[in-house]
Amino acid sequence: MNVDQLAEVLRRDSSFMENVVRWEELPVRPAVYAPFPEGLDAKLRDVLAARGIHQLYSHQASAVEAVLRGEDVVVVTPTASGKTMCYNLPVLSSILRDPDSRALYLFPTKALSADQVSELYDMIQQCGEDIKTYTYDGDTPAAARRAVRQAGHIVVTNPDMLHSGILPHHTKWVKLFENLRYIVIDEIHTYRGVFGSNLANVLRRLMRLCAFYGSRPQFILCSATIANPQELAETLTGRPVTLIDNNGAPMGRRHFVFYNPPVINQQLGIRKGVIPEARRISGMLLKNGIQAITFARSRLTVEVLTRYLKDMVRDPMGNAGRVRGYRGGYLPTQRREIERGLRAGQIDAVVSTNALELGIDIGALDACVLCGYPGTIASAWQQAGRAGRRKDTSIVFFIASSAAIDQYIVNHPDYFLKKSPENALLNPDNLYVLLSHFKCAAFELPFEDGDGFGNAPAPEELLDFLTEEHILHHVDGRYHWSAEDFPASEISLRSAASENFVIIDQTDPAHHRVIGEMDRFTAPMLLHENAIYLHEGVTYQVEKLDFDACKAFIRRVESAYYTDADLNISLSLLDVEEEVSRGGVTRALGEVKVTALVTMFKKIRFDTHENLGFGHVRLPETDMHTTAMWWTLPDDTAAAFSSDTLKNGMLGVTNLLRIVAPLYLMCAPQDIAVLYQVKSPITDKPTVILYDNCPGGVGLSQKAFGMQGLLLRECLNIVTSCACENGCPSCAGPVGEIGMDGKATAAQLLRELVRRST
Amino acid sequence: MNLRDKLRAVAGEKKPAAPPPETAHNDCWRRDTLRGAESLPALNAPLGDIVPLMQPGEVPAGLRPERILYLDTETTGLGGGAGTVAFEIGLGWETSEGFAIRQLVMRDYPEERWLLRETEALLSRFDAVCTFNGSTFDLPLLRSRFLMNRMDPACLDLPHIDLVHIARRVFRLRLGHCNLGRLEEVILGQPRQGDLPGSEVPQRFFTYLKTGEFGLLEEVLAHNEQDVASMCVLLRHMVRCYANPELLGHAEDLLSMGAALEHGRHAAEARRCYQLIPAGRLHAMGQLRLAANLRRSGARGDAKEVWLGMIRRREGGAQPYIELAKHYEHVERDIPAALEMTVKAIALLSEPSLQGEAVQTLRNALQYRYDRLARKAGASRKDT
Repeated sequence: MNVDQLAEVLRRDSSFMENVVRWEELPVRPAVYAPFPEGLDAKLRDVLAARGIHQLYSHQASAVEAVLRGEDVVVVTPTASGKTMCYNLPVLSSILRDPDSRALYLFPTKALSADQVSELYDMIQQCGEDIKTYTYDGDTPAAARRAVRQAGHIVVTNPDMLHSGILPHHTKWVKLFENLRYIVIDEIHTYRGVFGSNLANVLRRLMRLCAFYGSRPQFILCSATIANPQELAETLTGRPVTLIDNNGAPMGRRHFVFYNPPVINQQLGIRKGVIPEARRISGMLLKNGIQAITFARSRLTVEVLTRYLKDMVRDPMGNAGRVRGYRGGYLPTQRREIERGLRAGQIDAVVSTNALELGIDIGALDACVLCGYPGTIASAWQQAGRAGRRKDTSIVFFIASSAAIDQYIVNHPDYFLKKSPENALLNPDNLYVLLSHFKCAAFELPFEDGDGFGNAPAPEELLDFLTEEHILHHVDGRYHWSAEDFPASEISLRSAASENFVIIDQTDPAHHRVIGEMDRFTAPMLLHENAIYLHEGVTYQVEKLDFDACKAFIRRVESAYYTDADLNISLSLLDVEEEVSRGGVTRALGEVKVTALVTMFKKIRFDTHENLGFGHVRLPETDMHTTAMWWTLPDDTAAAFSSDTLKNGMLGVTNLLRIVAPLYLMCAPQDIAVLYQVKSPITDKPTVILYDNCPGGVGLSQKAFGMQGLLLRECLNIVTSCACENGCPSCAGPVGEIGMDGKATAAQLLRELVRRST
Repeated sequence: MNLRDKLRAVAGEKKPAAPPPETAHNDCWRRDTLRGAESLPALNAPLGDIVPLMQPGEVPAGLRPERILYLDTETTGLGGGAGTVAFEIGLGWETSEGFAIRQLVMRDYPEERWLLRETEALLSRFDAVCTFNGSTFDLPLLRSRFLMNRMDPACLDLPHIDLVHIARRVFRLRLGHCNLGRLEEVILGQPRQGDLPGSEVPQRFFTYLKTGEFGLLEEVLAHNEQDVASMCVLLRHMVRCYANPELLGHAEDLLSMGAALEHGRHAAEARRCYQLIPAGRLHAMGQLRLAANLRRSGARGDAKEVWLGMIRRREGGAQPYIELAKHYEHVERDIPAALEMTVKAIALLSEPSLQGEAVQTLRNALQYRYDRLARKAGASRKDT
């Protein structure tokens, strides 16, 4: 069955259609072409002609023209619209004309770099010129690094490597810096929040060094569809940037199906889970031979679904290679093999985390299943873009989970389908981030009196401060780095711990093998002793977790269940920085220690998802110092409720804050955490706490603190204007979570907080 | 909160501030020291002939000892990167009066260019530069400093003798770690007393910068002076050993030097080292390497004599039999003799105490050889 036929069958299936909230047909979009821009090197035209390309899509031509005019550009196009040409053409053209000229490509992940380099190689080979393209990242062998530094025309790397491996050692890269013509940054919409704020400062450092070496490179940026690509590009680069968004790539017909699983408990408002629904829909695609990708939110879900789908197609030998899982933690070779399998059509179904969302070339598939909302509209469109042929019809299913944001999206499809409302926001001048990068910049090149740092505010004050701290030494109008440390090693751009756990399979005692890796914060959740660890749908049991050595030892087992760990978070106060009390409500800002501890896990049966029991986990706590802000409830307000009611109400308030705060703090939802304590060890009172969910914090709590009553008022607006009766995932939370009285209590608490504190 | 308070909050606790030291910046601090020539080991061969044996390439023929500049830096960090500065540069050279050492210190950052200028001037007067780990540390660091000061680093492209590699190749088997202090103690027999650990050097400089107390650098200078002087002693010692391997005295060092020479394609010199290995644990290994060296050099008969000698002395287990089996089969085409050696090797390896994967692989290979030889023997018998 092809996609058109499947769509017909589904539309006549009333049991399916009753859960479909909206069935949108995106029309066929014809190609818009434009001739080759004049300024392109003639050799390049010949190469393209040999590939059968005699004209460009409109956006490609506009981008190339703008770049040739000397402008910095940001290209906004959907997945698979040939955006790589927008930067490869001007870059190759400039190198063909001047063999000394250099370009730097930045991709957010290593996998993506590897993929782009192989595509570039093809074009360069056809050029028949000696244009050297090298990847420079953690995997580059030490012996090859010298050649990359000296001879690479195009150096492909990631922001982390640029930050800690290239900029602090710029004197080894003289050739690159002296001749840098273009800086290409792909997938810039991923540089939001902490990561983006860091990257903007890495770019400030890069431009400072370019100025030292006498080059002034142009930026060519690419972004998925977001509301403010130009603003994002300009904030990242600190320069005016030309927006190119006249997409001319053709697209076949596309069906977009918004599917809301049926309510199975009317009273509690609980819906059928996304996993069984995704199993059904992805299974249907698999059975009909429609090549599909299923995106799941977590690694665990990927593994569970992979296993279900594999079970459907196992041959008598138990092999099910037509179905594959794909996620972070698989080894690079395994990932490459899966990517090849997809391109070659040997794999019919792949279940992936967002690892396959970015531009890794897996070809275009027929169908895509979004198993839950991936967190942002830009991500959702990128995932959906994996299905979409230039000629044939494709189909995308969005299966909503019970989460607030999922329910919001599935009930407001226009929010998704119309112009993107999403702003990618970052704050390069966040003091924490800025100060760290000032140190790096000073290490790389002494500041002189009157020097700026991009458009960062008050550079002289930061410099004087660092001088007082004896990190810099001011003499004869220059600020010299005068500390022993290597400042770049103190910052992780993604604000996550750099240490990874390796996962060692010891099923074969004679041959232990490493099958994957996991980050430090996730390891206690998924790799505690006795956990069932799923990898490519195979179940393993964790026999030993050596926390100090960062190693997990696992063994293959047949298991009828999987495990789900409970994470306990506790907070202790290190220091109160500011406190404002009014009308019995205290709003405070301070430093806290967040302690995360996994104490137990549940065993959950495959298929039925019933709870089979518990197990204990003995692991050390993981600590994080960060900034937090909190509100305490007035004693008399709290006293008006029973303890259960109060809990439900406070839980409702935290749920609302989780929705509201990221919008106003301009950050990703996972950048903050919100929780409540009925009798907080910090304040001894009922308290709602919001903290920066990354070590050291990035100033989000300060910002929330400075907003005074704004966040609470917005929460109150949402909860009072929501049409639901006793709470739903889109406001204070579902009844099953906050109880029958949760919504009303949350509203009452918020009203009191707002009234008294303003 | 004003910005200053915020910065305080971001950075943590306060530290007391100190006034910057007053210095004039139109030159750097320098000190010249002369050490007596008696401290240097006498050369037993022309240095220029021997250095090419110790490291491949680079060094000009006929290099004379007084044409070498010894260089060692003290830095503000041990990790490298553009923010690491060489605040002290120690330079040494041989003169007719003895070993001259010039130490240059920047009393503050603006003086760095004077250090570099003087280093550049000195380098231009010599034919080679000698360091201890300079190819990884000192020279790239100085290159970076020249670039940061917008000066041409070409002066650093002098032919380079890096003692760390030379010493490591010969002594690592016996000593494990080969830092300069350990070599002074074990190889040169001159242990250091009360030396400042290198890891404390950067902090000394920063404390000096804060307090202006130049005396804090005295120990750094003493440490550096010793480093520079030791390099010259070590180079001369290495030259003596390469010219006269008897001086090494340790089987491990002889074996290592032989390997190093062979790596540098100095086969005859390597043989001399192997031949000097005294009876004992490593003698057999030396003999096997000697025979392999002879075989590669085309002296197959001599190699055969070495293997036969090993068999007479019952050393090397099955190895000499295996080598002889190959020799008889491929060189002398004496199949029965090859067969005999193979049988003996198999018998030696049948010893039940010999276990493990490597032994098993060897047994399998021998069995394969035996089968092949037996086939050949059968065929030739049929022919006759």
